[in-house]
Amino acid sequence: MPDGSFSHPQQRSFNPYTENGGTILAIAGADFTVIAGDTRQSEGYSIQTRYAPKVFRLTDRAVLAVNGFAADGNMFVKKVKQRLEWYRHAHAKDMPLRAIARLIQTMLYAQRFFPYYVYNILGGIEEDGTGAVYSFDPVGSYEREACRAAGAAQSLVQPFLDNQIYFKNQQAAPGQSHPLHLPLSDVLSIVIDSFTSATERHIEVGDGLEMYVVLAKGRSAQGLEGGRGVQELTTRTDGDRVFVIRRELKKD
Amino acid sequence: MDHFPTNWGRPRNDAQDLYNTYPLHQRPNNTPKDVFADGVQRTQQPIVTGTSILAILYKDGIMMAADTLASYGSLSRFKTIQRLQSVGENTVIGASGDMSDFQYVQSILEELMIEEFTANDQNELGPAEIHEYLSRVYYARRSKMNPLWNSVLVGGKKDGKRFLAYVDLLGTTYSASTLATGYGAYIALPLLRSAVEGREDELTEEQAQKLLTDCMRVLFYRDARSLDKFQIAKVTDEGVVISDPIKLDTTWGFAEKIRGYGPQTQ
Amino acid sequence: MFLTRSEYDRGVNTFSPEGRLFQVEYAIEAIKLGSTTVGVCTPEGVVLAVEKRVQSPLLEASSIEKIMEIDSHLGCAMSGLIADARTMIDHARVTSQNHAFTYDEKIKVESVTQAVCDLALRFGESVHDEDAMMSRPFGVALLIAGVDEKGPQLFHTDPSGTFVRYDAKAVGSGSEAAQSELQDKWHKQMTLKEAHILTLRVLKQVMEEKLDQHNVQLAQVTSDKGFEILDEVRLKALIDDM
Repeated sequence: MPDGSFSHPQQRSFNPYTENGGTILAIAGADFTVIAGDTRQSEGYSIQTRYAPKVFRLTDRAVLAVNGFAADGNMFVKKVKQRLEWYRHAHAKDMPLRAIARLIQTMLYAQRFFPYYVYNILGGIEEDGTGAVYSFDPVGSYEREACRAAGAAQSLVQPFLDNQIYFKNQQAAPGQSHPLHLPLSDVLSIVIDSFTSATERHIEVGDGLEMYVVLAKGRSAQGLEGGRGVQELTTRTDGDRVFVIRRELKKD
Repeated sequence: MDHFPTNWGRPRNDAQDLYNTYPLHQRPNNTPKDVFADGVQRTQQPIVTGTSILAILYKDGIMMAADTLASYGSLSRFKTIQRLQSVGENTVIGASGDMSDFQYVQSILEELMIEEFTANDQNELGPAEIHEYLSRVYYARRSKMNPLWNSVLVGGKKDGKRFLAYVDLLGTTYSASTLATGYGAYIALPLLRSAVEGREDELTEEQAQKLLTDCMRVLFYRDARSLDKFQIAKVTDEGVVISDPIKLDTTWGFAEKIRGYGPQTQ
Repeated sequence: MFLTRSEYDRGVNTFSPEGRLFQVEYAIEAIKLGSTTVGVCTPEGVVLAVEKRVQSPLLEASSIEKIMEIDSHLGCAMSGLIADARTMIDHARVTSQNHAFTYDEKIKVESVTQAVCDLALRFGESVHDEDAMMSRPFGVALLIAGVDEKGPQLFHTDPSGTFVRYDAKAVGSGSEAAQSELQDKWHKQMTLKEAHILTLRVLKQVMEEKLDQHNVQLAQVTSDKGFEILDEVRLKALIDDM
C-alpha cells in the first residue's frame, strides 16, 4: 500500500497486568519489626473493595507485605506459603527469615521474563533476635534495611521515613547523637502518621490500616496485649510473637 | 544424573533443562510442546459481550441482577441471553464480557460439579470454593496470555454464611458487600454502596429487589449497551432462585422536551 | 518349592514370601566385604576414619579416596562399592549447593542424608515411558558427618535407604569387632583428640596390616573449621601419640 497502512501486520495485544494501588511499609526496631499496609484495592479511579489485605503472616517470626498487581500478589503469597510448608516437612523447622528472603528472590527471579508485578517487603525477627526488613523489586533484587515503603505512595512515605527513622536532614543536639533504633510506640506512631498522611494526599490509599508487629522472643508485649483493635496471631508459645493492629483510615 | 527428585520416574526429556538450572522444587515442563502452538490464535478482544452485573448482600442472603442482552459491538444481537447461572445448590454466578468465554466457563463448571457429585461424599462446593476455582482458571489463562474475557461475580449462601466476590480476565479478585462490573461499577455502585454498606443485615428482600431494579433502570437510561429486560437471582437458606426476565418500567416522556440533540432544531 | 529363594533373587523389586527384598539384603552383605570405616561424634565435632587396603607396593596409596567432602560443613566416609558412592555424593553435593543457593543457609545434616537415601530405592525395571535410573541397589554404606544448628552429628545410611543417627558407628569388614570396641570406649564428653585416637585404635585392632599414615585416612568436621581431611603429617603425629 502506498500509505504503508498494511505494510506490516499489527496486533493489539492483551495486557496481562494492572495496578491495584495501595501502599505498604516496614520498619525494623532493635528487637521488633512493624509491617503495615492499607486495605484499599483499586483500579484506575474505582475503589474495588475497602478491605483486601496486603500483609500476611508467614510464620511466627515472618510477615510479608505485597503491593502492585493484586492477582500476582495473591498468587505469589500462596506459593511462598506453600514453599514454607514444604520446607517444614523436609527440614522439620520453620524457615528462618533470611532463608525466606533468599527464597523470595529465587521465586521472583524464576519469573524474570514474565515477572510477578509485585513489590515485596518482608519483615520479622532474624535468628539472632534482631528486627529485620528485607525489600525486593519485582524480579528479585533484594537487600536488608531498617525501613522501607513501597507502592502507590512510596514517593510520599519514604522521604518521611528517611527523616524520621534515619534522621536524614536532622542535626542531633550538641553532644548528643541520634538513636540507632526507636521504641515500638514511636514506630507505631510514625506508621500511623505515614498512612494518614498518604491517605490525605494519595487517592489510592485509604479505607483501613493493618499493622503487623513481630516481637522477638522474650520481649515484653506491654501495651499491645488487649489494646484497641489488637489481635495476636502467634501459633506457638515461647517464641517470637506476631500481633496485628487494625485501624480505620479515611474512605474518601 | 538427574538431581531433581520431582523428575524421577517421569519421562526423560534432555532437550529441556539439560544442566539442571531449575530450583529443586520447580520441575521443568517435560510435556511435549504442541508443534502447532505458534499458529494458535488467542482472544485479543471480546466479540459478543454482556454488560454490567450488580450484586449485593442483604438480610437473608445475596441478590444479583443482570440484563438479558448480548451485544455484537453496538448491535443488540441477542436479546434473551441468560447471564446469571446457578452452580450447585448454594451459588450463583453472573458474567459480563465475552459471552462465548462465559459459556465455556459454564461448561467447565458443569463438568466440575458433575465430577464432585460423583464423588458422592455429601460435600458440595460452595460459593467460596467455586470463586477460588474460577480465580485459578482465570489467572492461569491470563498467565498463558490467552485470557477468558470476563468479569464475573460469584455469590451465594452456604452454612448460614453469605459470600460475594469478583474475578476477572486478569485473575484479579476481591470481595465486598456490594459489587458491580462494567458500567455498573461507575454508575450503580455508588448508589448500591450508599444503600447497602452498614445495613447488610437489615435490608429486606423487597428493599434489595427494589434497589437492584432502580439501579438497573439507571443503567438502562445511561448504558447504551444495556436492555430494559433483566433477571434477578437470589441465594438464601432456601437455595438459588433466578427470576424470569423482568421488564423495566421506564419513562421517556421528558425526552420530547429536551433540546440540543437529535432531529429537532431549535 | 524347588529353589524357592532363587526365584525371588531375580527381580530386584520382588518381595519374597517372607517379605524380603533379597537384592537389597545382598547389597547390604556387599558392604561387609568393604574396608572398615569408623565414625565418632563428639561435642567438638565428628571424626571419620577409613582403612585403605594397599594391595600392592606399587599402588599409590594417596589415590585411594574413601572420605569425601559434600560441603564445607559436611563430610562422608564410605564402605562397599566406592564407585556407587560417587553417584550418591554427587547428588548430596548438588542438593547441598541447591539448598544454599535457594535458602542462603547451610543444609542440615539430616536433610542431606535424607536426600541421599531418597536415591537408594530407585532401582529396577522401568515402567512404560519412565526413566529408570539404576538396575540394582547401591552396594555401599555411608557415614555422613556434619555440623549444623543442632551441633555435630553422624548418620549411617545403607542400601535399603534407611538412615540412623549414631554417636559412633563402624561399617565394613571389621565392623563387628570395631562396633563393640566403640561401644566400650565411646563416652559423651569425648574431646576431638580422644576421638582421633579412638578411631585409629579401633582401626588398628581390625586391620591386618600394620597401621600407618599411608593406609588410613582420617577426616573431621568441626563447627569452626568445617570439613577437613587430615594430611599425612598430622596423621603421623596422631599415630605416634596413640
